Amino acid sequence: MMLNLSYGALTKLEITRTLRNRKFMFFSVIYPAGLFLVIAGPQDNTTIQGTGGLTLGAFYMVAMASFGALTAVLMGNSERIAKEREKGWVRQLRLTALPGRGYVLSKIASAAVVSLPSIIIVFLLASAIKHIHLEVWQWLALTGVIWAGSLCFAALGVAIGYLATGDAVRPITMIIYFGLSILGGLWLPTTTYPQWLQDITVWLPTHAYAGLGQAIELGGAPHAKDVAIIVGYFVVFSAGAAWLYRKDTRKA
Amino acid sequence: MKTPAPGATAVVTFANVSKTYGAVTAVDGLTLDLHAGETVALLGPNGAGKSSTLDLLLGLRRPDSGTVSVYGSSPQGAIAAGRVGAMLQSGGLMEGVKVREIVKLACDLHPKPHPVADVLARAGIAQIGDRMVDKLSGGQEQRVRFALATAGANDLIVLDEPTTGMDVTARQAFWSTMREQADQGRTVLFATHYLEEADAIADRVLVLHKGRLLADGTAAEIKAKAGARRIAFDLEGTIDEQALRTLPFLGALTVSGTTVRIQSHDADATVHALYGLGLYPRNLEVAGLGLEQAFVAITEAEEARTA
Repeated sequence: MMLNLSYGALTKLEITRTLRNRKFMFFSVIYPAGLFLVIAGPQDNTTIQGTGGLTLGAFYMVAMASFGALTAVLMGNSERIAKEREKGWVRQLRLTALPGRGYVLSKIASAAVVSLPSIIIVFLLASAIKHIHLEVWQWLALTGVIWAGSLCFAALGVAIGYLATGDAVRPITMIIYFGLSILGGLWLPTTTYPQWLQDITVWLPTHAYAGLGQAIELGGAPHAKDVAIIVGYFVVFSAGAAWLYRKDTRKA
Repeated sequence: MKTPAPGATAVVTFANVSKTYGAVTAVDGLTLDLHAGETVALLGPNGAGKSSTLDLLLGLRRPDSGTVSVYGSSPQGAIAAGRVGAMLQSGGLMEGVKVREIVKLACDLHPKPHPVADVLARAGIAQIGDRMVDKLSGGQEQRVRFALATAGANDLIVLDEPTTGMDVTARQAFWSTMREQADQGRTVLFATHYLEEADAIADRVLVLHKGRLLADGTAAEIKAKAGARRIAFDLEGTIDEQALRTLPFLGALTVSGTTVRIQSHDADATVHALYGLGLYPRNLEVAGLGLEQAFVAITEAEEARTA
């Protein structure tokens, strides 16, 4: 119970200060919503080939909600953790009773709280402007699945934050962020890519991530393969983050 | 567990601890005990291994060989149990939060917390509780670090050059707060490179040099060891070095041109004898050794004794 309390204290403070950071809030909340309007806005609701009947509007709603959540958790974590390691705040926290994983868990939890509005705003826009109609269970399931899936990328953000330092962290994050977004089909349907590329992209965590939401939009449950891929990456990223954290202890 | 009487039990034990970084040996076979209730100064010039020693004590680094135990467990165990509070030079602060918020966090994280208002007041930062942490002066930041180190009822407080960046008034206020902590039976260990600070505060002084424990005693004992003074003067005419070497309490002696430089363990007696030789020293200067030179003096004395 003591542990829950201490995680809670740090998570709460992390959220408080993230909400104060207007630039970050703008990027994680307004930016995916804006992209959705710009990209999906002018399109009509034609069905995309090879997606089992998904319209462009529906595709971009899930893609941009996923992209927004990805932005919030990945960008927020990697840069901040790298900076806090450099400034010695992580060292200071190691001198408190907070267990090592507490810092990482608080980062993931607070990023997840911030990513929620970015998901919901895209949904609201899609429903109001693109007239996307789904069952209540679908809306709830979409929110839950995209939210839960973002934990995978929060863990990736932590790992990058421990891997990179100083000036390197932003470019590294950017390359991974845009690479995963574009190749995984968050900006364009991967069905428009050449076959050899499609064969690769299906194994990316972002492709599986978007796949979770798209399956629900089509009225089914997420595919087992997508779930397995996301969970697999989550395990790898978390283990990597934990390993890097311990390595950092030795030389911090 | 009740804190044992001062002097009785070792609360911190270093057993033959070494730590190297590449070719540099930061801590070299260090063996020492700290006892409950002691106020101990870890004294040494920059690069003596003070920060590395504290890092090992706090579990921020692991020794290459030897063991460090704190309250009978690992450093991490003792910290998790809330027995150790620490203030590091390299410890950063969380950005984008208010002073009160970060102090409250430290209290929330501590297993035996003090009330937030008390911690703020004791650290002298109650008035700046609403200020953003990013907007503080160096001295204010140090006070916040101190508040974080004293957020709960610790048995041991570890401070790494805590008064860096503080002016004289702040320094005095800081040490009077620290003495209160010591008077409540807490064990206090602080690193400093000011001999005066160690002298005024500590009841035990550990002198560290090149990662080794050079001296361990009361401040008075250390001062006597490092008490050599530097005498410099000019002489006219030919300098009779042989005569100068007969001066009492003489340490090193160098003559360059008309200037003579002497180290003496009793400057008053040496100067008195200087006049006794019938010499008329001009531009006479007597000064204490800098800490660096004091360490050299202690090192030489140690080496002479063990040779």
